[in-house]
Amino acid sequence: MKRFINQAWLSFKIRYAAISFEEFLLLESLYPLITLAFYCILAAYSFNTNNLAKWVVGNSFLLCTNICIFALGSAFDEERYTGRIRSIIISPVSKLLIVLEKGFFPAIISVITVFFGFMIGSLIFNVDFTSINLWLFLFVIIVGMFSMTGFSLFLSSFGLITDSMHFILNLVANILIIFSGANFPITQLPQTLQVISKIIPLTRSIESANMLFGGYDTYKFVWLLLEEMLVGIIFYVISYFVIKIAEKTAKKNATLELF
Amino acid sequence: MKNLKVLWTTMTLQMKNSFVRPMFRFCLLANPLVNTILLYEMFINSGQINFINYVILGAGLMGIWSCICFSSAGDINRERWYGTLSIIYTAPADFRLVIIGKILGNTILSLITFAVSFAAARLFFKGNFYAPQAYQFLISFISMILSFAVIAIFLAYLLTLSRKTTLYMNLIEYPVILVCGFVFPVDILPNWVQKISFSLPPTWAVKLLRMSVAGEVEASIFLDTFYKLVFITGIYVIIVILLYKIINKQVRKLGTLEMQ
Repeated sequence: MKRFINQAWLSFKIRYAAISFEEFLLLESLYPLITLAFYCILAAYSFNTNNLAKWVVGNSFLLCTNICIFALGSAFDEERYTGRIRSIIISPVSKLLIVLEKGFFPAIISVITVFFGFMIGSLIFNVDFTSINLWLFLFVIIVGMFSMTGFSLFLSSFGLITDSMHFILNLVANILIIFSGANFPITQLPQTLQVISKIIPLTRSIESANMLFGGYDTYKFVWLLLEEMLVGIIFYVISYFVIKIAEKTAKKNATLELF
Repeated sequence: MKNLKVLWTTMTLQMKNSFVRPMFRFCLLANPLVNTILLYEMFINSGQINFINYVILGAGLMGIWSCICFSSAGDINRERWYGTLSIIYTAPADFRLVIIGKILGNTILSLITFAVSFAAARLFFKGNFYAPQAYQFLISFISMILSFAVIAIFLAYLLTLSRKTTLYMNLIEYPVILVCGFVFPVDILPNWVQKISFSLPPTWAVKLLRMSVAGEVEASIFLDTFYKLVFITGIYVIIVILLYKIINKQVRKLGTLEMQ
C-alpha cells in the first residue's frame, strides 16, 4: 500500500512539476469554471431560462473530464513520450496497478473540482443549493468519479496500440458533453443514439444529482447510483483484459514506441 | 515573386504537417461535427428563426478557433521542439514571412470546419444555411479569416516568450469562445466582460458574420462594425510588429531561441 501511495504521489507530482502553484490553480480551477460558465450561459440563451440548476449540476460533473479523461486516459501515452514505456512493459508489475496508481490522486482532485465547481457555479448562476443534502450530493460525485475512473482506465489501454490518443481523448470528452445529458435532455436524441448515453459513465450520476433538487423517488435514486457503480465496475473489468490484449498487440505489432 | 514562393511553400508544407497531427484532425473534423450536434440540440427549442445558421456558424467558428489554439498558436514553439527553429530563423527567407505562411496555411485548412459543420447539419438535421445578404456574408467571411490569422500570429509570437506553451494553448480555447460570442451574442454578457470582448478582433468578426446571416441589416451598421474590426485588427498588427522586434532582440541577446 505504501508503494502504491508513493508511486501515485510521484505520478501526480510529475504531471504538475513543470507548472507553478498559480498555474495549477489556473488550470484546475479557473479554466474549468470558465468552461462551466460557457455552457451555462449558452443554456440560458438557447433555452431562454434563468433557472440554471440542471446545467450547473451537469457541467460541474463534466469538469472531471479534464483530469480523468486527459490525465488518466493518456497514462501510457505519456510514458511513451518520457521513454519509460519499455521498462514498464517488461517489468513484472501489473499494468492495471500502474494505471490505478496514476488515477489515485487525479480521482481525488476530480471529486474536489466537481464539488467546488458546483458550489461556485451555483453562486455565480444563483442556484439555491441550501435545500439539498450536500453529503448525499458528495456521495453522488464519488460514485460518478468511481465510474469515470474505470472508463478512463479503459481508454488509457488504447495508448499502447495507437499514436492518436489526443484525437481519441478529445472525441470522448466531446461525446460525454453531448450524451451525458448535462446540456440537453437525452430524450431529444434518436433512440439509437440514446444507447450511447446508457453505456457511458456520468449519465446516471448527473440524473441522480439533479433529482436532489426536487422531490425524488428514493428507489429510483438508489437504483441509478447502483447502475452507475455497475458501469464503473464493468469498465474496470474490461480495462483489465483490454490492457492485457493491448500489451500483447503492442508487442506483436511493435507499436509500443510509435510516435 | 521570391517572397510569394516562400509563402506558398510554407503554406502547403504547413497544411501537410498539420493534417498528419491527430489533434489537428480532431479540431478540423470531429470538433465541428460534435459541436454541430450539441448546438443543434440546444437551440432546437429556442424559438429562434434561422437558428440553424447560428448553429453552423457557431460550430464552424469553434472549430477554426480550436485549430488556431492547438496549432497556429504553438507553431513557433513546435519548430523549437522539432529542432528546426534556428534553421528557419537564420535562413535567407524572412522569418516573419515563414510564420505568416504557416498561419495562413493553417487558417485556410481550418475553413474545412465550416464545410464539416454545414454537411453535418444537412445530413443529420436537414438544415440549410442561408445568407440573405450574400455580399455582406462574403465580406464578413474574408474579414473573419484575416482577423483570425492576425490573432493567431499574435498568439504564436506571444507564446514564444513562454516555455509553457502547451499549458497556455489549453487555457485560451473556451475563454475566447465565451468572451467573443461565437455561439451567443456578447450583449448578454456582463458589462465588464464585454469590455474584454470588444478589445478582441474575433468579437467584431463574429458580430459581422452574425449580422450578414440575420437578414435585413442597415448598411451603415454593417460598415460601422466592419471599420471597428479593421481598427482593432490594425492595432493587433502593430502589436505583432512590436512583439517581433522584442523577441528578435531578446533571442539574440539571451540566446534563448532553442531553450525548451
